[in-house]
Order: sequence, then structure tokens, then C-alpha cells
Amino acid sequence: MKRIVVTGMGCISSLGHNRKDFARKLMQGESGIKPITLFDTQGFRVKIAAEVKDYNERDFFPEKQLTKLDRYTQFALLASREAVSDAGLDLSGPAAERTAVVHGTGIGGQSTQEISYQRIYSQGNKRLHPFTVPKLIPSAGASWISLDLGITGPAFATTSACSSAGHAIGMGLLLLRAGIVDVAVTGGSEALITHTTIKAWESLRVMSSDTCRPFSKNRSGMVIGEGAGTLIFETLEHARARRARIYAELAGFGMSSDAHDMLQPLDKGAARAMRAALDDAQMGPADIDYINAHGTATPQNDPTETRAIREVCGAHADKLAVSSTKSIHGHTLGAASALEAIVTIQALQEQKAPPTANYMEPDPQCDLDYVPNKARPMSITAAMSNSFAFGGLNTVLVFKTYDES
Amino acid sequence: MSESISNEVFEILARHAELDRDKVTPSTPLQMSGVDSLLMVEIIFDLEEHFDISIPDELLGMQNQELETAADVVSLVEKLIQQKKTS
Repeated sequence: MKRIVVTGMGCISSLGHNRKDFARKLMQGESGIKPITLFDTQGFRVKIAAEVKDYNERDFFPEKQLTKLDRYTQFALLASREAVSDAGLDLSGPAAERTAVVHGTGIGGQSTQEISYQRIYSQGNKRLHPFTVPKLIPSAGASWISLDLGITGPAFATTSACSSAGHAIGMGLLLLRAGIVDVAVTGGSEALITHTTIKAWESLRVMSSDTCRPFSKNRSGMVIGEGAGTLIFETLEHARARRARIYAELAGFGMSSDAHDMLQPLDKGAARAMRAALDDAQMGPADIDYINAHGTATPQNDPTETRAIREVCGAHADKLAVSSTKSIHGHTLGAASALEAIVTIQALQEQKAPPTANYMEPDPQCDLDYVPNKARPMSITAAMSNSFAFGGLNTVLVFKTYDES
Repeated sequence: MSESISNEVFEILARHAELDRDKVTPSTPLQMSGVDSLLMVEIIFDLEEHFDISIPDELLGMQNQELETAADVVSLVEKLIQQKKTS
């Protein structure tokens, strides 16, 4: 089977507009969760989110292009431009056809939809902007990445709520292994900090009004974040031929569905995805040193995920470092698996487990080592990243340090 | 307990728990009626809409002991209606 490696990474998030800032704040546990500024939160229970800060779209895109780019697409483009340049990829000539774009999103152009409804229903406008449809479709991100970077191979979006980017990375991996392409530009993007979306999440009663405290006994729910992450994957032979810098190897990918409930997570479903990823990587649980948990900080997720990790890893579970960095960058939904894949690769690169921020008290139902509040230098040769979406759609990625032999 | 408020609350509970209306009494335990945390979220939404009140997250809590029976739900609703009147 072809070996697949990561050669480029890019992201935009509440921790900054590039991967360097993201990695620095991540390891310092400096949280991007702050009061919401994107709309007026008067009358809201939830007044916090992990917003992309100091962002002026005009700094990145010409005015004429902006009429076609939803905020989520802008993020997808910025993360992808950074990742391609980080990888030092030349996508001109025949390489363009041998490259895929698979980029996920949970919803897509939500702010475009909201502005449109507002114009029609509350402002009594008779018409909408002509680019409303191309702006709001959830494949707009994938399309714009392909046309911005001149990629002419297969391009599509994946959508599976909080696992959207996990499925995107997995589909990229399968296209590479099948020999359909040599390079895959994959990841996910989300920009859902809007009036209606936060109201809708509020009604689900899974949102925290103070902060995100994964695995802590006093955890109070999730905090929404926004942003995008893009990773460049290549077949090892392709990366070697062009002497690319290799960050890590994508060793395995596992998927499963709970077939249980639209909202309640199921430990057995999560465990099946983790086992599938380990099998795919031809690794055992004892090979894993660090797990970047799904860790949403809801009452339901954290004990369920803890049970799943115990079920899969057995006694080794007590030797693992497990952290949820959603406490730092928020839950970025359709971008989550991409940003957290970058977190996992940073852990391998820096030989350091990033912390679970805001951790306060142990919960008997969550009894693993969650790397509370402070990053920990440690030896990490392989690491896992979990994503368990609403509706029971699970993806798990296993990365390992690149070994030339 | 106001007759009409408890009647309306019991009706909402019965509809969600798929019970006959006369099976719901003040002492009906919510757990026994198959009301899990997600169904409770839907019930809360209906109660808020029906009585035009706002039920704070804190009252639902993770291990909330305060909402055990149908009567507990009625007194919560009554309390919030009262609060709305006096505020």
C-alpha cells in the first residue's frame, strides 16, 4: 500500500491568521474564546465564541471578488493558500490534473443565507444579490480552492457536521492510495458565528455560557469557534521525488456510524472508528502516545469518549496523554478535524502534548490523563485525532513521525 | 398548584412522553415516563413557548435533582410565571 505523508499545513482561527500563531498559542494554552463581536448578543444566554479576530476581508481579497465569497469560503481559501505555499508545491503543468481538492464544511455559506432571509423577510426587499446561490452552496469552498490555485483534478466537499473535515482528509487519503492523484489538498472550513446559528445551538442546551472545560467535572458545554484548516497530503514517492519537507505520515483512517441517535453519542460507535483507524495503520493501541480527543465539554461527550478510549486501549489508556484543544480554539465544527489534525501533527513535530485548557476538577467518569492546563514535553511517535459528529458520524485519524526506512 | 397551569404542563408532558393525559399525575416521575435529557430539551422548548417564559440552563443542570416529577415541572413553571409578572 502507498504511504501517504503531510507536506504542508495552513490555518486561520481564533488563535491567529496563520499556522505559526495557531501553534504558538495552542502550546501556551492561550484560549481564543472571547465575548462575541460579530453580532449583538443582547438577550442571548451564550455570549462567547472563538471568533477569528482582527479580520478585515479587504486585506486579503479584492472588492470585486468579495461579492462571491462567503466568510467560510474566505477562510477555506486563506488556509489553503498558506498550506500550498508551506508545501512549496508547484501546481502548474500536469501536476494540476494530478491534484485533488477535498474540503469539508458542516453548513457552508450560513451568513450569506442569513443576510438573504433578512433582506426578504424582514427588510421587505424584492431581490437578492445574483451571486447568492454560488456563495451559499457548501461546495463553494472546494470550488474556490480549485480555481484560486489552478487545481484541475477531482474536487468536492464533504459534509458530516463535526466530522466533515475528517471525511475530507479520509477521502483525500483514499484518492492518493488508489493512485488517482499524487497530491490532495484537504481540510475543512466553517463560519457559523451568526445570530440565528447561535440561537439554534442555544436551544439545544449544549452550550456553555462561561467557557469550554473539557473533561472537567464542572464542564458546562461546548463553545463554538470558526476558521479553517488545510493539509497537503502526498504519496511518499511524490514527496520524495520533489524533495519536499515531510511533517508526518498519515498512517491510518477509520470511520464508523453509530446508527443510534441524532444527538446522543455512543461509545461503541466511537470505539469502532478508533479500532478501524488502528487496523488501517497496522498499529495497536500501545503504539499510540497522544490522543487529540473530540472533547466537546458537553455532559454526554466526555464520559462517552473516555469509555471508548478505555474500551479500545485497555490498560494502555492510563499511559496515554489525552487532550481536548477545543478549550483553546473552540469547536470549529466542519473545520474541527482539520485544525485538530494540525494540532496532532504539531504534537509530533514539537514532541509536546498540547494542554486541555480551563480544566478545574477531576470527574470520576472522565478518569484519563487530560494534560491539564499546561503543555507537556514527551516522546510522541504516533498520535490519534478523534471526531465524533452529531448524527453518529465518526472519523479517526492516526499520524506518526515520518521514518525514512 | 394552579389547576390550569398544571393541566397544561401535564398535557405537554403526556404528549412528549406518549402517555395518556390521565396517566400523568403530580407524582409521575419524569425518568419513569421515558423522558431522557434530549426529550427534556424539547419539553423545555414547548413550555417556554407555551407560557412565554425563559427557563435558564442552570435549572436543567447536568445532575439536576430538582426536576424529578411532573409536580416539580409545574412548580418551576409557576415560579417563572410569577417572576415574569413581578419583574
